[in-house]
Amino acid sequence: MKKLVSLILVLLMAMSLVSVSAVAEDGSHKLTVWCWDPAFNIYAMKEAAKLYKEIDPAFELDVIETPWNDLQTKLTTAGMAGDYSTLPDIFLCQDNAFQKNVLAFPDMFNDLTASGVDFSQFGAAKTAYSVVDGKNYGVPFDNGAVIQCVRTDILEQAGYTVADLTDIDWDRYIAIGEDVLAKTGKPMLSSTAGEPDMIMMMLQSAGASLFDAQGKPAIAGNEALKKAMDVYTTMVKKGILVEVTGWDGYIGTLVNSTVAGTINGCWILASIQTAKDQSGKWAVTNMPKLPGVEGATNYSNNGGSSWAVSSNCKNTALAYDFMSKIWGGSVAFYEDILPSSGALATYLPAGKSTVYSQPQEFFGGDTVFTKITEYAGKIPSNYTGAYYYEARNAVAVAMTTILGGGDVDAALAEAQSTVEFAQGV
Amino acid sequence: MKRRLVSILTYTFLTVTAVFSVFPLLWMAISATNTSQVVLSGSLVPGTHLYDNYLALLQNQPVWRAMGNSFTYSIGQTLLAMVICSLAGYGFEVFHTRNKDRLMSLLLMAMMVPLAATMVPLFQMMGKMGLLNTAIGFVLPSVSTPFLIMMFRQSARSFPHDIIEAARIDGLNELQIFFRMFFPTMRATYAAALTIVFMNAWNNYLWPKVIMQTNDSMTMPMLTANLMSGYVVDYGMLMLAVLLSTLPTVIIFFLLQKSFTEGIAGAIKG
Repeated sequence: MKKLVSLILVLLMAMSLVSVSAVAEDGSHKLTVWCWDPAFNIYAMKEAAKLYKEIDPAFELDVIETPWNDLQTKLTTAGMAGDYSTLPDIFLCQDNAFQKNVLAFPDMFNDLTASGVDFSQFGAAKTAYSVVDGKNYGVPFDNGAVIQCVRTDILEQAGYTVADLTDIDWDRYIAIGEDVLAKTGKPMLSSTAGEPDMIMMMLQSAGASLFDAQGKPAIAGNEALKKAMDVYTTMVKKGILVEVTGWDGYIGTLVNSTVAGTINGCWILASIQTAKDQSGKWAVTNMPKLPGVEGATNYSNNGGSSWAVSSNCKNTALAYDFMSKIWGGSVAFYEDILPSSGALATYLPAGKSTVYSQPQEFFGGDTVFTKITEYAGKIPSNYTGAYYYEARNAVAVAMTTILGGGDVDAALAEAQSTVEFAQGV
Repeated sequence: MKRRLVSILTYTFLTVTAVFSVFPLLWMAISATNTSQVVLSGSLVPGTHLYDNYLALLQNQPVWRAMGNSFTYSIGQTLLAMVICSLAGYGFEVFHTRNKDRLMSLLLMAMMVPLAATMVPLFQMMGKMGLLNTAIGFVLPSVSTPFLIMMFRQSARSFPHDIIEAARIDGLNELQIFFRMFFPTMRATYAAALTIVFMNAWNNYLWPKVIMQTNDSMTMPMLTANLMSGYVVDYGMLMLAVLLSTLPTVIIFFLLQKSFTEGIAGAIKG
């Protein structure tokens, strides 16, 4: 018995020792960052730290790898508990969730409007994601500009080139898709069943949102949304778009040559390039626009994230200086991270760099990065607000209902009331 | 004839369910030996990339530190939970007070509350106690669970009270009776409890993720989640990490399999 009691005591003491060593020291030149993806965000952050060290040799950066879902859980828990002491100095936030978090926990964020970061140097639509009541709360980072990637070899079999798919509308796209399917047996696109990404991309391409300017849901009777739903269901019914289960299934259709292309945020380039045997067979162009919808364009956004400085930051002067001099002021930094990570900036001066205009062998020698930076400047802004994810989910349910043969207006009205219920309207 | 038919149907059913249960594990093991692209193509042929995946994993994530942390936290949590819950379960059965059954019902009700609902108040509590980002804060909410207390209480019912009386007459105090008489007789229950607690502790994800703030405190489930968070997921490397993460619980389960079934059966029979 004594042995057991001593074992427990030793264990407790050992654990308290572990805890002591786990507490980070707080130096005046040190910043702590939460973000995810070692090949992308974490890599970029560490490169930024290397460059900033040239300005401030005592600078130290501690990156704590935190997947986005966990980061959101940690923000929510800290926010609801009112205890911000665990937050890092800087954290990365998905653009779609940025306004939601600022509106829910305004004390958690530092207002960056007067921080020295020149926000006019970033794409307007991108910056808009982290603006609440005219104040900037985020420094834009990676680009989510939508691109259409196509397999030129498959298109060629059906007698088309990438030029036939450039600057077109969805009606033309469906016509080409039917032809490609008939001649090659391959669908044009794939999408994860139950995920409304494609609908959201179409919606934003026409500058439309799921909410009006007052933040009220604008789902029922939304003409752009109805048109997007119509295009999507038509493509599924005609077999031009094949729905698959889960993200892995979606990536599988790209790398296994199941489909002739994809439409997604430009970060999809990294996944496409994992199929090394397909080098030279891919091309990049813009997405089709919604036909007959006012304000429709061939440009949209999907995904992307921005950096926030938390209210727990002990040294805001250092954080602001780091953000403005590197993330919002160094073309060299964006040139540095592009080749290894494929992290495309929304910092507009970087788009003019010669590194961005290098031809990419995988995409038939095209200057895809310059192209994407150009697209990024043409994306219409949309409003996400505090209930974006609720609205997205409601639209996803409506999409499934419509695909199952349900009435479009009734399904959208149902989605509208679901969001209104969530908002407590 | 009828018996034979029943037996054929039983075995067919068992074979089908066994295939469904074993297939994901088999797929995981095969995928750990393939490249990401081969995994995505749905191949079921073992590949030659196991070592490459291992090297990539070592380069990307602190896998051995995470393994060490997982072991430290899980063993600590398991030992504490076993001592605390078995003492509580034994106490509930052997000692008699007026309100003990009401207290037990209250405990059982607590079993219905999911962690997500108690996370914010727990976080606040730990914050006020200065236990955020500490190993004690990590294990404390799990060292006493209503399920384990109930399991030990049920087992204690089969422990003859005459032995307790005899031991008291022989001059043993209550703690001595517990450790010298109850503890050795209830090995099967302890083995079952050990398997359950260790597995839960090893797979614990949400709470550690919320309370632990440094890379040094990363555990295996956190490491696996990190591997899935990127724009590009290396499925071969991911499956190897999942395989490594599964092995300890599988080994413990197989080692204690016999006692586990006995212990669970004992607890249910009462």
